[in-house]
Amino acid sequence: MDQNQENLLKEVMAADFTVTDLMLYLDTHPCDQNAIALYNYSVQRSLTLRQEYERLYGPIIAQLTPSKFPWQWVQGDWPWEK
Amino acid sequence: MWVYEKKLEYPVKIKNPNPRMAKYIITQYGGPDGELAASLRYLSQRFSMPTNEARAILNDIGISFSKLLTIK
Repeated sequence: MDQNQENLLKEVMAADFTVTDLMLYLDTHPCDQNAIALYNYSVQRSLTLRQEYERLYGPIIAQLTPSKFPWQWVQGDWPWEK
Repeated sequence: MWVYEKKLEYPVKIKNPNPRMAKYIITQYGGPDGELAASLRYLSQRFSMPTNEARAILNDIGISFSKLLTIK
């Protein structure tokens, strides 16, 4: 995994971390309008980053992304590999 | 339903490998009071929660705890 890929993956992970945190907050504060607005913004941001990452480097979720030939999911780049 | 994502919940960089510390940390994963046990406890408790909020938070925290297992 080269430096550019690692940096973009870290951005995806950071964006998703924000989404997860807001989700947990909203579970117990479902009427907080500001938090819902921030959540919606964060989800959009995460989607944009994911699409960019998947376009350049391959799928993050196997079953949600069409594959090039040969089957891309097995082509390395597991998050524990550097 | 579980779906694997090819990324981490949070990135961790190990600067100084420490086998004694690693032995301790692994018990925080799989031990009786570890993340795995906590995750399954939350996921069981969600079935008997009386409110929407309580069901949602136990479901989502149960999932979050299982994601901690993939941090490396």
